[in-house]
Amino acid sequence: MKTPINLVGAAVLLLAATVSHAAIQVFACSPEWGSLVTEIAGPRASIFVATTAMQDVHRIQARPSLIARARTADLIVCTGAELEVGWMPLVRSQAGNDRIQPGKPGWLEVANVVPRIEVPTSVDRAMGDVHPMGNPHIQFGPKQIRLAAGELSRRLISIDPAGAADYKTRLADFTRRWDDATDRWMRDGAPLKGVTVIQHHKNFSYLFDFLGMRQVSSLEPKPGVEPTSAHLRDLVENQKTDPVRMIVRASYQSPDASEWLAQHISVPALMLPATVGGSDGATNLFTLFDDCIRRMLSVLES
Amino acid sequence: MRHKLIAAAVAMACASPALAQNAGLDQIRRDIEDLRSSYESRIKALEDKLKAAEASATQAQASAAQAEASAAKAATAETGSDTTPAPQAAAQTASQSAFNPALSLILNGTWGRFGDDPTSRITGFAPAGGEVSPGRGASLGESELFLTSSVDPYFRGSLLVALTPDNTVSVEEAYAETTALGQGFTIKAGRFFSGLGYLNAVHLHAWDFVDASLVQRAFLGTNYGDDGVQVRWVAPLPVLLQFGAEVGRGREFPGAGGVVRNQNGAESRAFFVKLGGDIGTSGSYQVGASHLEQRSGANGVAFLDYNDLSGLNNLFSGRQRINGVDMVYKWAPDGNPTYRNFKFAAEWYQRRYDGDFTFDTAGFAATDALSARQSGWYAQAIYQFLPYWRVGARYDRLSAGSVALNANAANLTPPEFDPKRYSLMVDWNPSEFSRIRLQYSRDLTRQDIATGLAIADNQLFLQYIFSLGAHGAHQF
Repeated sequence: MKTPINLVGAAVLLLAATVSHAAIQVFACSPEWGSLVTEIAGPRASIFVATTAMQDVHRIQARPSLIARARTADLIVCTGAELEVGWMPLVRSQAGNDRIQPGKPGWLEVANVVPRIEVPTSVDRAMGDVHPMGNPHIQFGPKQIRLAAGELSRRLISIDPAGAADYKTRLADFTRRWDDATDRWMRDGAPLKGVTVIQHHKNFSYLFDFLGMRQVSSLEPKPGVEPTSAHLRDLVENQKTDPVRMIVRASYQSPDASEWLAQHISVPALMLPATVGGSDGATNLFTLFDDCIRRMLSVLES
Repeated sequence: MRHKLIAAAVAMACASPALAQNAGLDQIRRDIEDLRSSYESRIKALEDKLKAAEASATQAQASAAQAEASAAKAATAETGSDTTPAPQAAAQTASQSAFNPALSLILNGTWGRFGDDPTSRITGFAPAGGEVSPGRGASLGESELFLTSSVDPYFRGSLLVALTPDNTVSVEEAYAETTALGQGFTIKAGRFFSGLGYLNAVHLHAWDFVDASLVQRAFLGTNYGDDGVQVRWVAPLPVLLQFGAEVGRGREFPGAGGVVRNQNGAESRAFFVKLGGDIGTSGSYQVGASHLEQRSGANGVAFLDYNDLSGLNNLFSGRQRINGVDMVYKWAPDGNPTYRNFKFAAEWYQRRYDGDFTFDTAGFAATDALSARQSGWYAQAIYQFLPYWRVGARYDRLSAGSVALNANAANLTPPEFDPKRYSLMVDWNPSEFSRIRLQYSRDLTRQDIATGLAIADNQLFLQYIFSLGAHGAHQF
């Protein structure tokens, strides 16, 4: 009978370890939302980030650890727009947690509260993995992040009213710093205005949109379809009529296709962090933008 | 363009001195005048249309800007007291169809080549009924229709209907599940695949091989499900620790050929526990243990395992217990499965019979105690070596174990034969929604009565699986 008692003891210890001093537990579907929660909630929240910038957000699996973390979460912050459709519904239904079900303040899909670009007028699976609600990679829209911060603070206040003053102060501080940073990115990124670019997948459309860059094409022949040699040859041809200045891929994508094309059209290929943690420089939402703009400017100068 | 041409023609006409001297000059001038006025009115109409369009565009821009401004305002620092709801950027269309359940449809079919008759049984272990074994030649597989939706803030409902190639419809799963209990509890009621083991609850379209493992076919009837209630609880830990219990009518008795029983009470109970977590960022695992217990009821169930030997309707009445352990491990570089990933899964089950066995033949029936203990396992590995391409290998084995027939030993001799099978597969997945698979199996599940050796059957399958409609979430 000793073993079960030991097991129970271990379980209690583990349980004690997870119940930190934080007022609320937040489950962030991806690192950008983890970073945003850190900004708005500070030490009031203990944050679990479900994925990394090295993982393709479209292809995450409902791992047992995610179900375990969703079980104890007070708030789940996801992108939405069906980006997490392949795993989140299962995690939610397995976790046995009423606080994070749709309709509750503990379930936040950021895409629902921000304007989205590239919303298709019609959808068909023959068009590839298109998102009917538009491009879900909203972490690269400064305006989108600003709106997300406001909604996040409202959710935090409704879940943890005791921290309301704290959340309001932090939101005010964040918004001020974010607005300053947005102006700075606009200034620093001015040389990128009008620059033509090819991206692997439409990860950076919001950033290009913000900086006034023009995306000519994608390495993927269709969204979610890996680059094919036929499509890459078309892109080589296309360079003669509509030349691009750089080829961009996200941190989780294989460099093969962008480097092949870079060689064939003599244009620099560069990796940008898909989100926070995708490069050494991208340690939070602010440095994520800094790092992306710096990387693009550096190839423009060379 | 056309306007310019007309204007040029008019100018030329007016400027031409040769024409001015012409007698029909006035007539031509009038014609041109008519032409011009008619075009002018048409141009005017077009210009008006353009202006109107521009005006409404500006208006739209203005209102968009306004919406943005209010959105920005809502997001600004002084929020707290500001309860303005965030703008729903995409206006949700409030039509009834928005409440329709998510609908997905699975189409699948195979082309099979067998050396032996695919309907013949595994020696010593009757396939438990309801198993899916593709036939010879081209054959349609089960088409699965899946509907799911929230019922209200408290429940979620799901229905999975299988349309079988022989034109019957079977309700594979139909259940409601709680969403609002909290504290880690979920209760499911209806007809559902049992949570025991790893692959039992996985539907055909998500299998890694064309067919189910031998142990699932022999002991669980491929996907063991019942009509009943399931309670699950997830412990509040950073690793997954889940307990589940099920009680059911015992609608199907695995091993009884899918005979639907007519029984009061809860004759079936299942328990399972799962433990899972991550190993670094690249790996994750889940291990589990399960127990299934069923009573056949007073009337007994057909005991197909030995019907093949005697050709008669033998009957078993008593208790069947199945214990199992399962494990799965998944790996992908940095946890990103897009380019390469690996998956290993294995399950082991032991089945015990304790009860009475009636050997039944014309004018003669002998009943005596039966106790049997048999086991089986499989191990399979799947590797995706390139985007879209996976290879897999599986080894299957059943162990005849010990069967004590007591007095009936005089009437029947259980075969001492351990069926096994080797399978290899390669599949191509051009998208998340389609899969085309080639599989080879060397099947050694049937004993040649004369020699006592296994009959080697080489089986080849080509299979397609297509998913239409809503994007489903697959279990780990």
